[in-house]
Amino acid sequence: MERHRVSTGRRFTRGVMSIQLAVILVPVVFGFMGFALDLGRMYLIRGELTQAADAAALAAAAQLIGTGTSLDHAGAVATQALTLNKYNFGSLTLGQDSGNLTSTVNDPAYFATVAGATGTDPSGASADGTTARHIQLTVTADAPLLFFSLLSAGASRKTPIAVQVLAGVSAPLCTACGIEPFAIAAKDISDTVNFGLGDPAGDVHYTFYYNCTGTAPTFLPNSGQSAAYTIINRYDAASTTVTEETDQLFRLGAAGLASSTTPNPTGSPVPIGCVGIGDTVEAVWNSPSFAAVPPTCASRLPALALAALCGLYSRFDNQTPPDACTTGVTNYTALSAAYQPDSDITTGQGDLYSAYQGSGRRVITVPVVNALAPNTATPMTVLGFRQFLVQLAADGTFFNPSDPNGRFVATYIGSPMPVKQGYIDDRFGQSCPAPVPSGPGKVVLHR
Amino acid sequence: MRTLRQAKRARSGSMAIEVAMWLPIMFLLIAGTVQFGKISYTYYTLSEIVNTAATYLAVQNGVNFCPDAGDANITAALQFAVTGTSDGSGDPIVTGLTADMLAVTTQCIDPVTLTLGDCVLSGCSTPVGAQRPDFITVTLPNGYIVQPRIPYLLTDPIPLRPKATVAYGGGS
Repeated sequence: MERHRVSTGRRFTRGVMSIQLAVILVPVVFGFMGFALDLGRMYLIRGELTQAADAAALAAAAQLIGTGTSLDHAGAVATQALTLNKYNFGSLTLGQDSGNLTSTVNDPAYFATVAGATGTDPSGASADGTTARHIQLTVTADAPLLFFSLLSAGASRKTPIAVQVLAGVSAPLCTACGIEPFAIAAKDISDTVNFGLGDPAGDVHYTFYYNCTGTAPTFLPNSGQSAAYTIINRYDAASTTVTEETDQLFRLGAAGLASSTTPNPTGSPVPIGCVGIGDTVEAVWNSPSFAAVPPTCASRLPALALAALCGLYSRFDNQTPPDACTTGVTNYTALSAAYQPDSDITTGQGDLYSAYQGSGRRVITVPVVNALAPNTATPMTVLGFRQFLVQLAADGTFFNPSDPNGRFVATYIGSPMPVKQGYIDDRFGQSCPAPVPSGPGKVVLHR
Repeated sequence: MRTLRQAKRARSGSMAIEVAMWLPIMFLLIAGTVQFGKISYTYYTLSEIVNTAATYLAVQNGVNFCPDAGDANITAALQFAVTGTSDGSGDPIVTGLTADMLAVTTQCIDPVTLTLGDCVLSGCSTPVGAQRPDFITVTLPNGYIVQPRIPYLLTDPIPLRPKATVAYGGGS
């Protein structure tokens, strides 16, 4: 009797528990399913949004070059990058609505300093195109809910996920890669900010001329200063792709120093595609066919300078080159097709740099050295990097690459544009003064 | 007494049937959840892999983006993303994924219209190489095939095709 009652009681209890379990378990199971499926998908979407926002912010930050239109360019590139990176298993485009799912890309915020962006600097309000160095991007997108939507908390069947990233220019670089091979001498070594080149805001026009002996050539119209340049030695003797020397020089002028596995011909540990501050063995171009020994001024322009200037000229026009370039550069036609001209080839000497509307193709980053070498044996020491905007001639035409002194006008702009690549530390052992007081940086994500 | 016991037995019997009815559904739900979790985990890993390849490649200089050029930088980037070692000596992070399943494509912004389009590849037959791209995209063109395993259900294999596009920041 005793056993019987117990067993009846157990059976009775089991039945009640089943009903209770069924009632309670369904929402609990859906809750657990929600954690497994919906939360998992939310993490996935957050990861996809982070990747998209990182790509967009990095792309946009490279467009912040200190001109009035740079914010428009940055915003357009950010939108392009966001459109190309989809979310929710790569199915939904950011900034577009799909069914009940919405995604919004807030207008990017621009700041002059990182402290301004993080809010630690109360005076760091948002910056305009000429001062913006950092971009903050906020992306919000809805993640669809499947199992959570069966519970009251998830009745809207979606939940917004927001991602915020900050990208901008880094500290001044110690080693800059992909910069232009035209080295100029510092006018004042003690001026660590501008090397005596003047105030960048003053838009000083310089007549660049190929370093020569004798009386310096006359200034081009509208420029009150001149700067002699030489071409630093980056002859890639072991190149397997562009082997011809004038082709190499054209490429350096058109797109900056090219990287290669060949060691630096100067003997420096700095890679061939880079220039390092503190590098004491930088030298003028020296190869079996050409040695960049300064010619007498106003004599014929050396072929190596002509090839490099033809490359520089392709930043204005790669369709109708001067005859001197088609004959002076061996594979001119094939080479020039690979380098697109600047999107702004009209802003001239009468306009300020802030009015320049281009993509930065006309901006050259040049190494500033202590003094230009008079022969191939004398080393030069790199002091820093500064940027110039290559100008049209005073009459609005493109500059003449076959000028006997290799002259062209360029405006000193300081270092507003991030260079493509570089290193902040002196990893190549060239005793760079750390931190570098002033100069261009590269684009980084701030985390 | 007897009738009461019978009633109790009948109720507990209907519960057993109910449980028997619900059990396969619950089982399918749980199996489906596990498979969904496995697939989304694989997808996220693949998406990280293509993103790693793209961001690695975006900071390399002197990359030859011509199709079939077999550029060493591209090979190293894909190997690094797939195995964690740029020479490809490590084990693949996702079983069965090899570097040749990934593909790199390029896009260029037209300087005049500022729209996105194909890059100039006319230099590819010459030593010059392709135009420097503005964006590079790493994709899995044929997808990484996963087979969802749910008992008593035949499901089609699902190709996972994550894609990552980043701006190219390297020099020529």
